[in-house]
Amino acid sequence: MTRRVRSYGRLAWIGGTTLVAAALPVPVVIAADYLSIQSAQHSAFSQADRFEEISPAPSTQQQQAIAALAGPQPPHGKLRVWRAFLGDRQLGYFFFDEVIGRQDLISYTVGIDSTGSLGAVEILSYRESHGAEVRNPAWRKQFAGRNTLAALRFGTDIKNIAGATLSSEHITQGVRWLMALWQVSLAGAAT
Amino acid sequence: MSAVSSKPAPAAACRIALGVLGALATAALPATSSAATQAELEAKVQALSEQLLELKSELAQLKTQQAAPAAAAAQPVASVPASARPGDATSPLTFFGYGELNYSRPSDDSSATTADAGRFVLGVGYRFDDRTRLVSELEIEHAISSSSDPGEVEVEQAYIERELTPDIFAKVGLFLIPSGLLNENHEPTRYYGVFRNFVETQIIPTTWREGGLAIQGNTQAGLRWDVGVSTGFDLSKWDAAATEGRESPLGSIHQELALARAKDLSWFAALNYTGVPGLRVGASIFDGDAAQGQPGFDDAHVTLWEGHARWTPAAFDLAGLYARGHIRGTQAINLTLVGNPTLIPEDFFGWYVQGAYRAFEQNGYVLAPFVRYERFNTASSYTSLPIGLGPSALLDQKAWTAGINLNIASGVVLKADYVWLHDSPLSDRFDLGVGYAF
Repeated sequence: MTRRVRSYGRLAWIGGTTLVAAALPVPVVIAADYLSIQSAQHSAFSQADRFEEISPAPSTQQQQAIAALAGPQPPHGKLRVWRAFLGDRQLGYFFFDEVIGRQDLISYTVGIDSTGSLGAVEILSYRESHGAEVRNPAWRKQFAGRNTLAALRFGTDIKNIAGATLSSEHITQGVRWLMALWQVSLAGAAT
Repeated sequence: MSAVSSKPAPAAACRIALGVLGALATAALPATSSAATQAELEAKVQALSEQLLELKSELAQLKTQQAAPAAAAAQPVASVPASARPGDATSPLTFFGYGELNYSRPSDDSSATTADAGRFVLGVGYRFDDRTRLVSELEIEHAISSSSDPGEVEVEQAYIERELTPDIFAKVGLFLIPSGLLNENHEPTRYYGVFRNFVETQIIPTTWREGGLAIQGNTQAGLRWDVGVSTGFDLSKWDAAATEGRESPLGSIHQELALARAKDLSWFAALNYTGVPGLRVGASIFDGDAAQGQPGFDDAHVTLWEGHARWTPAAFDLAGLYARGHIRGTQAINLTLVGNPTLIPEDFFGWYVQGAYRAFEQNGYVLAPFVRYERFNTASSYTSLPIGLGPSALLDQKAWTAGINLNIASGVVLKADYVWLHDSPLSDRFDLGVGYAF
């Protein structure tokens, strides 16, 4: 009987806590936006004094080359691209991309400097509970400094997160596509 | 977007059209005219003139409304042509799923060989707003479900998820319990071997779901925590005449929210750390009364706890798990079941270690051989009964599984393995399988 009372007390405590937490007013307006694009730009290129948005338009032939280099891709959402400048000097490219996590879009950014090296991936929005571990800084920093697609293999170079496999794999595939885009149609255009 | 902003257009256009028709009709009226005075005609012209001015103003307003979204669309939001990008994932409605088909041939009895569409699962997700979404999965096991077929149709998940803060989510509905490595990640592309391992089938009853309320949080340091209250087990479902309880004690008494008895709720908690890339370490507990108000089961109580780790250094994938369950208050119940083949155990446990190696990886192909050793016991002890009445604890079963997983595309895997069993009622077997998840 005492055990039963203790058990109910524990359940009541947990239930009460979770219900109160669920009912609390939440000051967040937009789903899990951790960082603005502007903050992410300055995090990727801290020296840059301006960012110029561009509209890369790879030819059909280039699109095929990008697809072949990047490998399998998840469904994507929006893509935006900027050139980062310090005065007249171009420091690199900054990308905003969206890929499906398990079921919903993940918005992330990454920079590629003028030598073709990636910066750390930043997660701007994560919209589902499953796989949210990709926000972990240690995992995102694995991308920094990599400058070839051969060094961007999921599972071997970029570690899987057990329990967040789809999210971590899809972000890796998305970054591979951005790297391929840079190699095929942007690298030569750098000034 | 444009569809939404152009919604007012039909009504406005109708008003304009009616106005114009009205004006034309008025103008075309035969001039009964002979009787009409010059003053009346002037009044009519004046009225028509005012109507035209009003329509002109309404038209200009409409044009402005239609131009606004067009201007917004001209902003460089998607700077790369859509045709250059794979897929479009902007719909609030999403479909997903997984499935597995297998062939299994026991070494000792080839007549028991089976081929099976083991699971066919379709999922639907819907985003209601920025912070609220539905997750649901409908599963068909063994291809056909009818009174004369072995299949089952099950709602595997159906819950509403609400983002409370950027780091904390709440779930309410039918959801998977965060226990072990497989239960929440049970798609065939996520595990080695044609079938799920024994421990996370017989000790942890994967795919294990309950109805309730759960809160999940993630920290920047890589710690995920889960806590919740849910429906629990119903020990009065125990069938002592059948062997199901011996195959999976908890699998035989879980309720899966099918008119679940809910007098006694359970609580659960889990912690998982993924702060180091390639590493996951975690543990969980599920605990609650299992009497559900049924007479004779007053003290029934179930606890299941487990700890697990997975580490992927270089091309290796190493994992281990230990799980232990305890059912309290079984003595009085077992006394009423004496003489039946399957009494209720007090303790059951299992553990495994597994190693895999990504031996080949090219052009979307990944070949990974693996080996796994498991030791488990679904009735490692019983509460004591009067001499001669209590059953003996079962022997620990041991299983070696060796095989390969070959991913031929992202989300498609071919599998083959061989299982050696010791001290088990099951036969060694050879398995082939194909699995997919999208």
